[in-house]
Amino acid sequence: MNNLYLLRGKIRFLGILSLLLCLSFTSFGQAQTVSGVVVSAPDNEPVPGALVSIKGTQNGTVTDIDGAFSLQAAPGSILVVSFVGFVTQEVAVTANQSPLSISLEYSTSDLSEVVVVGYGSQVKREVTGAVQTVSEGELKDMPVSSVAQKLQGRMAGVQINQTTGKPGQGMNVRIRGQLSVSGGSQPLYVVDGFPITGDINQINPDEIQDITVLKDAASTSLYGSRAANGVVLITTKKGKAGQTNVSLNVYTGFQSVPENGRLEMMNAEEFATFKKEYYEAAGQAVPDIFQNPSEYRNNTNDWYDAMLRNAPISSYNLTVTSNKEKVNTAVIAGIFDQDGVVVGSDYKRFSLRMNTDYQLSDKVNIGVNLAPNYVVDNTPRTDGTRGTGILFNALHTWPIMPIYDENGELTSFNQLPASTGNIYAYPNWVRSAEEITNETREVNILANTYVEWKPIQGLSLKSTFNAEINQSKYFWFNPSTATANINVAIPTVAVSIRDHYNSLSWLNENIATYTKAINDHNFQFLLGFSNQRFRAESTRVQADTYADDRIPTIQGAININRGGTNSGVGEWSLTSLFSRLTYNYQGKYLFTASVRGDGSSRFGEDNRWGVFPSTSVGWVMSDEGFLNTSSTVSFAKLRASYGVTGNNNIGNYTQYALVNNTINAVFGDQVVPGAGVTSLNNSNLGWETTSQLDVGFELGFWDDRVLFTYDYYTKNTTNLLYAVQIPQESGFTNYNDNIGEIHFWGHEFSINTVNTTGAFRWTTNANLSINRNKVLELADGIDRVYGTYHITQVGQPFGQFYGLKKLGNYMNAEDLASSPIIPGRSTVGSIKLEDVNGDGVITYGGDNDDRTIIGNPFPDFTYGLINNFSYRGFDASITINGSQGNQLYMRHLYSTANLDGVFNMVEKVSRRFKSPEDPGDGIFGTSTGGGNVTGVERDWNNSNFVWDASFLTIRNITLGYTFSNISKSLKSARVYLSGQNMWIFTKYWGGSNPEVSMQDNGNGDGGNLSPGVDLAAYPVPRTITIGANINF
Amino acid sequence: MLAIAAVGIMCSSCDDFLTVVPETQLSSATFFKTEADFEQAVNAAYAPLRSIVNDRAYRLAEMHSDNTYYGRNVLFGAVDPQEDLADFSVVESNGVTANDNILQQYRLDYLIISRTNQILALIDEADIDQAVKDNVKGQALYLRAYAYFELARYFGSVPLHLTPVATREEAALPLSSEDEVYAQIISDLVTAVPLLPPKSQQQPGRVTSGAARTLLANVYVNRERWSDAETILTPVVTSGEYMLMASYEMAFSDNASNKNNAESVFEVQFLEGSAGLNGNFFYQMLPRPLLADELAPLTGTINPQPVDGEGNNIPTPDIIAAYEDGDEREDASIGYVFLSSSFRDEKTYPYIKKYAKHHSQHNNTGTNFPIYRYSEVLLFMAEILNEQGKDGEARNYLNQVRDRAGLGPVSSGGAELAEAIFRERRVELAFENKRWFDIQRKDKIEEIIVPYGQRIVANPLDYYYPPIEGAVPRPQVFTNLSKFYPLPAAESDLSPYF
Repeated sequence: MNNLYLLRGKIRFLGILSLLLCLSFTSFGQAQTVSGVVVSAPDNEPVPGALVSIKGTQNGTVTDIDGAFSLQAAPGSILVVSFVGFVTQEVAVTANQSPLSISLEYSTSDLSEVVVVGYGSQVKREVTGAVQTVSEGELKDMPVSSVAQKLQGRMAGVQINQTTGKPGQGMNVRIRGQLSVSGGSQPLYVVDGFPITGDINQINPDEIQDITVLKDAASTSLYGSRAANGVVLITTKKGKAGQTNVSLNVYTGFQSVPENGRLEMMNAEEFATFKKEYYEAAGQAVPDIFQNPSEYRNNTNDWYDAMLRNAPISSYNLTVTSNKEKVNTAVIAGIFDQDGVVVGSDYKRFSLRMNTDYQLSDKVNIGVNLAPNYVVDNTPRTDGTRGTGILFNALHTWPIMPIYDENGELTSFNQLPASTGNIYAYPNWVRSAEEITNETREVNILANTYVEWKPIQGLSLKSTFNAEINQSKYFWFNPSTATANINVAIPTVAVSIRDHYNSLSWLNENIATYTKAINDHNFQFLLGFSNQRFRAESTRVQADTYADDRIPTIQGAININRGGTNSGVGEWSLTSLFSRLTYNYQGKYLFTASVRGDGSSRFGEDNRWGVFPSTSVGWVMSDEGFLNTSSTVSFAKLRASYGVTGNNNIGNYTQYALVNNTINAVFGDQVVPGAGVTSLNNSNLGWETTSQLDVGFELGFWDDRVLFTYDYYTKNTTNLLYAVQIPQESGFTNYNDNIGEIHFWGHEFSINTVNTTGAFRWTTNANLSINRNKVLELADGIDRVYGTYHITQVGQPFGQFYGLKKLGNYMNAEDLASSPIIPGRSTVGSIKLEDVNGDGVITYGGDNDDRTIIGNPFPDFTYGLINNFSYRGFDASITINGSQGNQLYMRHLYSTANLDGVFNMVEKVSRRFKSPEDPGDGIFGTSTGGGNVTGVERDWNNSNFVWDASFLTIRNITLGYTFSNISKSLKSARVYLSGQNMWIFTKYWGGSNPEVSMQDNGNGDGGNLSPGVDLAAYPVPRTITIGANINF
Repeated sequence: MLAIAAVGIMCSSCDDFLTVVPETQLSSATFFKTEADFEQAVNAAYAPLRSIVNDRAYRLAEMHSDNTYYGRNVLFGAVDPQEDLADFSVVESNGVTANDNILQQYRLDYLIISRTNQILALIDEADIDQAVKDNVKGQALYLRAYAYFELARYFGSVPLHLTPVATREEAALPLSSEDEVYAQIISDLVTAVPLLPPKSQQQPGRVTSGAARTLLANVYVNRERWSDAETILTPVVTSGEYMLMASYEMAFSDNASNKNNAESVFEVQFLEGSAGLNGNFFYQMLPRPLLADELAPLTGTINPQPVDGEGNNIPTPDIIAAYEDGDEREDASIGYVFLSSSFRDEKTYPYIKKYAKHHSQHNNTGTNFPIYRYSEVLLFMAEILNEQGKDGEARNYLNQVRDRAGLGPVSSGGAELAEAIFRERRVELAFENKRWFDIQRKDKIEEIIVPYGQRIVANPLDYYYPPIEGAVPRPQVFTNLSKFYPLPAAESDLSPYF
């Protein structure tokens, strides 16, 4: 509680400060009425909604629909006229001022834009933190379901990977490389001021006006214990002042998986050839079916291809906005309909958003945003390890096994006699995809309401109430005719799972903002408190052994599966106090300080409050005398920030010692309840803390036609939540504690240029990010954490690939005799590994074996390059992004290159080691010797699994043409052609998606400790669409 | 100022707002109060026994002897941890091993110990009915003693936890000597015997006074305290609570019936179905790969599925030869199954038939697993009495067991009778995880295991190796003949004491 008192003290001090500011007052001159009109410079069109204010005061007005304004201003005062997209202009007021005609130049840079920051907004040139904004116009054409896909490659320091192509899923967003052992790494998403708990993938991208990413601690620390992974602020659409707009955006097209880039498996003839050679090399009789491989020429059953199809995608959005007579509304209705490129998968979203603000009086505004949507997603369990992920299963199914029978029907399952070496039953995976239901139906409702009262000039008191409701129903039904698992005979046991989930998150926030200018000193003071609470409930019922596949009801099953039937509750609450002081002198010397206190139900009862302070400074050097005469340098700003943020993704009840009362026992035929203590309590458990220093500068040249931004950051994450392993002689597996330290650092560069102006306009936006991390400390006595294919070790970066280092294959008897070997397992042609510990033999397992770090899933750098062109009515854009130096662990090789010939194999196995005279291309070793020999290459993690996955992707190409001034009722119409994921340039050969990262259970985002594993996930399609934007 | 005032008001209710307790699980602070709490706690202490007998004990105490071996399946690569147990080649470095079976057995025993420690630390002070208190306490003491008895026989010296662990610092303890561990086991059981009701008054399947006496007798037998053993075990024979079933086959639990029968002293309880209380040890003990059609007659399920991988616990030619002619137990214990997918020329394999009971769902059985049967009580009595020179009484007990198996009486005495009892235990208790402990306590490792290993290396085809290149006994077989298993490496990594 000490922290709380400290916080209260600090707030009281800041309160007194603001009170003092209140008492001072500005002087008023001899005011006169000044009127005028604001027009745009090249075309003399009126500019409605432009802000006309008197410099150094809070007095001002907004232009009407004709661009006209009128206000009281004293002679000698200066009018500042600004509007998004134009260069801000200053006009001096003379005595007896005649009506003004102010023409605004289009801005070539976005420095004058107002950007949304935490709990407010700021003019971009005055921002002192590392923030980046992308607005609607830059995102509009991409034919994808989620906004995260649209952001790929756009922002320095924000790495976005699509780990799976499943419709509506799989976006992994990581800001400034942030990681944690167990606390999650996804940023906090804030929609219209409301930190949401759900998934942004479900939000219709057409509802979004702009997105701001807060990267440094000074920008994020007002979000306190949830801000360490960065914060993404999403603002939804509003009407433009004085206008009513109706627009229709539609597109339709199809998706496909290009042949080029798929994992190349053996065709039937190559497979039969392998089998023949395999038996011959082992001195065994060749089964009849492999005697003559050429029989299979041009008769391959391509199981992977059979899983894929060309699939349609379409989207329809109708947007109506109006901002007139004190009512500002925006209504967006959307339908998104995507069939997946894997058979049996589809995703549909029906969404509506209604945003309304009412100006009740000069002093009171209220507003309501309401956004319901309905999502239906039916996607087979495509992703996962061998045996359970049906795409992986399809890849390694024998290509001589028929997909269709002689009647053209899908086969049910394939199993050849054991004499052929076939040891598994292979179900028909196309049936698995088509017949197994795996459907989620979701209703999401996001609501924001507020009332704002401005009792006196400069003071705003605002209360908001927000709610997020999610209802989802999951239904899995595996009929007796299909299975997703290998080696299951058909008919199988029909199984159903129903999972009903609902959650409610609500937030009440109360914020006072006071803005004051005294001469050239501009202050803004903010004080707020909030309460948020979340509760989720779920009910799951699993039933099996159905009498009839056509009746998948619960009562239609013979068994209710006790272990798969349960209900759950998850709940947390958060109380916060926060405050910020922003000050600048002449818009030149900038200063911000903020502090937030979070009390969280998740923290241990003896450590309930966390305090998260920050400060930042900026200096607009170009306003100084020595620079403002320069014609080359039009803008220069230096800024620095430091702050502390937290990560509270530590689980809802981790602090408690829990008693599990489902450890049941049976005596005779009677089941009795059992209960045992399953965890230890830690009443001091707390959040992870990240302290971050950011230094950056922004430089504009030639009237900001070239704008360059650079940031360096260094941050340390400490008190990582970690379940410290303890000896299980205690009866417990671990003790939840805050331990360890990780250092992160990196550089971010971005450059925006206007290359040509005039009729042919060409702009470029390029960015490059370098992120590094290093583990400085884990727990006492623990210097490493092993993953299945990874190690996280003190002194090294997180999640490195770990295994034996392959040197080649033993080329001949002499090589074998003179090299370290695995006694009893190494032979001529088998994998040759490095004896790292120098003990003369190759060992695997334990802390002192020959394993070492064999690869790095993290890139050396990532980059994006976006070019936009326009010429008269034509426009074009091309978006490129890439990643350099990252590697993937091609995990599927343990089956797709199983040298025992149990499965179908990658085509490269044809060029394996066959004899000292025919050693192949060195990638795969000999197939002889049985599992004792081949098992080493397959079962012992080694560098043969690790491959470079650097890539450059032509993410999007769009070509459009706009017809303007068509008729009175039709303002403009644009038609365009857009292609998404057009080409991927990569040396990676393990599959078509070099961004993949998968856990064995098929969940995307391989987890922080085990990133970059390729288990043949759902491919990311190429999408080609035509679309139209019509404005009425 | 308004905001500050509001903050003050708000924070008076902060603690309530911020206290969110789990609703789907209880917290230890509120548990251990009522009779039901303690009963549930002791029920949970039984649970690890299911995993022990289903997954581990047969590998550590049966396949680690001359009774069973694995069926090598080259298509599935090597299954080193199991093979190392059967091959007496457990990899040991610095006194510890990475063998997962050893690790899991160790952890399961300590799970029983920690759950019973929670009960024993609090039950004396609990305000609950005395009869319930005695019964729960007796069961907890028995289960703790049983777990420590397993640890003492597997490892010798182990950490001796007798109170619940509450902090990270208390998690590890130094090793206690074998003698100290045995002293604790005996003290727990001596306390437990009078607290527990006899079988006729206890819920079937729970620990009884007869079970506690039998376990304590077994401990005394291991310690060669023969007269103590006689004193504690004789009331079991005279109690009238137990008898031999009419046939050997009937001594074993069926899938859903014949559980905890008159011969059963203590058995681990399973229940077929989807409640997670089922076993599948019968499947683990099958030779493989078996097609669904080949499996179906053994299991009688409606949904047989093929089973692959490497089979464990396959009866050796040695145990098959150990049955005397006419011994009805051979046919009741061992069956034969044809594996069409086998790479061996001889595609018929033996399997453990005494646990092959028809059930309905694939890989889901309700058959109980015996820990102590009355026939073992009789064999203990025979051994205890013979060791004290009372060979007449001893023969009487031995011959009761032989008679039920359809065999004639034994008439020898002294060392010869001791050897006959040892042989009788092998066949009577085959596949009940007794063989390794018998060899261990009789110091017969050199005498029995060494020649057994030589037979495997000389005749791999007889021990289920296929005639395929690379499929021969590995070079390291029968190189680690220690009396105790090394302690688990994963625990050693976390403990400062070993």
